[in-house]
Amino acid sequence: MLDQHVETRSNSKLVEKTLRGLTVVWADFESRLEQVPIIAKINRGTLTLADYQAYLLNIRQQVVDGGCWIARAASNVSVEYFDLRSTFMRHAVTEHRDFQMLEANYVATGGTLDDIRSGVKNIGSEALSAFMFQRASQPNPFGLLGAMFMIEGLGSRKAREWGLLIQEQLKLPDEQLGFLLYHGEHDDDHLAEFEDWLSAVVHDEATGQDIIKTARIVGRLYALQLEEIEYA
Amino acid sequence: MHDAYIVAAGKFLPGDAISNGDMGAYLGSIDNQSERLGRLILRQNKIATRYYVPSKNGQYQYNNADMSALAANDVLEKSGLNGASLDLLATSTTQGDLLVPGHASAVHAALHRLNKVGPLELANFQSVCASSVMATKAAFLNIKTGCAQNALVTGSEFSSRWFQPAMYEAAREKLENKEKRMAAEFLRWTLSDGAGALLLQNHLSEQKNNQNTAFKIDWIKLISLADRFDTCMYAGINGDERHVLSRPWSHYKNGPIEATQDGSIMLLQDMVLLKRILRAWVGEYLKLVDEDIIIPAQIDHLLCHYSAHSLREEMIKILKSTGGMIDEEKWYSNLTTKGNTGAAAIFLMLEEFMEKKIAKAGEKILCVVPESGRAMVGFMMLTAQ
Repeated sequence: MLDQHVETRSNSKLVEKTLRGLTVVWADFESRLEQVPIIAKINRGTLTLADYQAYLLNIRQQVVDGGCWIARAASNVSVEYFDLRSTFMRHAVTEHRDFQMLEANYVATGGTLDDIRSGVKNIGSEALSAFMFQRASQPNPFGLLGAMFMIEGLGSRKAREWGLLIQEQLKLPDEQLGFLLYHGEHDDDHLAEFEDWLSAVVHDEATGQDIIKTARIVGRLYALQLEEIEYA
Repeated sequence: MHDAYIVAAGKFLPGDAISNGDMGAYLGSIDNQSERLGRLILRQNKIATRYYVPSKNGQYQYNNADMSALAANDVLEKSGLNGASLDLLATSTTQGDLLVPGHASAVHAALHRLNKVGPLELANFQSVCASSVMATKAAFLNIKTGCAQNALVTGSEFSSRWFQPAMYEAAREKLENKEKRMAAEFLRWTLSDGAGALLLQNHLSEQKNNQNTAFKIDWIKLISLADRFDTCMYAGINGDERHVLSRPWSHYKNGPIEATQDGSIMLLQDMVLLKRILRAWVGEYLKLVDEDIIIPAQIDHLLCHYSAHSLREEMIKILKSTGGMIDEEKWYSNLTTKGNTGAAAIFLMLEEFMEKKIAKAGEKILCVVPESGRAMVGFMMLTAQ
């Protein structure tokens, strides 16, 4: 990874441009979230325990796939990007247990394991998951770095923010909020690595644009997943 | 289309510069907790001095319109323009002195007393900080289209009146809530009073060209994101009802007294939402960078209004990794000495910047004015002449 990074410093402008595009996509996504009913409830302090349980149940159906699409993406990374393949694999390992925390939080709030495990993906989760697996199945699916940027952003910027707001309005103990509170504490490390990943793969305009477009699609579908919660 | 130039800038700051330690003597005291939070907030905003209308014994020598008129008069004196030649007066402020009629009328009347300014066209802009950009744009477009030759723009704030203990008294128990307390104290220890003014003309006089700094206005853009964000800085509604604006101060059965007792007449800032809006402002800026409307390497001076130094740090963090950063040595600000004067701030910055003759002919100056009120950001690109 380090060797590649040194060799590819000449692409720093392209990396900057990609990060700029991703930051714009993030800002649009984050402001779109303000209008999503369940997020507006969190922000306005009007969430109910039933809303929070619906959130956990809905999100779990997609998070359960989280480690899998990253693992599939890793298996499609060619040997010249070996270090990035390792990174994807490590990343998949850290993600693939996340759904268990969601389940534990759900049970701690009074729900049953059967209920959350027998839940089905809402149409936003279906679209998001299908898109991720489709992209992950392509050779060298670097566009998915855009997906990771969005997912990591949700972890580092939004999860803890939502967790604390929910905790305040519903007066919940930490063990009912582990998924949201835990992410805020750990995902900063992932974001710090992100610039290195971009340096390793963005050597032309098209790759950067593909990453940005993928991020935009993921943001749109993630918002759809949250929008669908009330109607699940 | 004509070109539009900023040919002079004026200012009015009431009284003397007030140090951090003296603020309480002018604002009055709410309680010990307020003082403690004040020290914390001052460390974050890094404001060292500011100006207030009220004297130590609580006397008001000026109102908001007076301050605008005094800044406007300053710009007329500096430029040598006869007040009778003005075609347009465009004013901006967060809150005029009266509920009705508009602030611009009061400024016009006050300016007449100072400088015999007769009948002219008015434009009255009320928002928060970015109302200054709206007023400048109105003047800019009037000049561009030939509807005006000489247009005066003012921005003024009388924030300190919100911060007198009596403004909180009727609903003191609301401040027991930690979030509301911070929402009130952040503004109380950050905002202050003052006025700035610009004179816009469709030409540069020979004399101006040689001796004084003047700026051609290249473009002005203002983007509101109120389509997605809730109210963030507000007065006139109980904080709990601000999201849907269901019951403004005028809707109470028992009238304004009940509204006051319910905490509707406090100036508050949602500090959590502010952080989200900040990322949206940066996003709008980066869009302009992406479209090559702003090319960071070609900007010689950045005059960016921000309410607190800590927010500046937050913006820089995002800009550095995205190629959107304008080198910090190109940033010009007088937040620490003149305080955060809202709608007046960008004009007071430009006034000082022009007075010091910092810009050389041909240099590009970018002014950025974010407004938290309900998420808005204004940009102005200038070229030094």
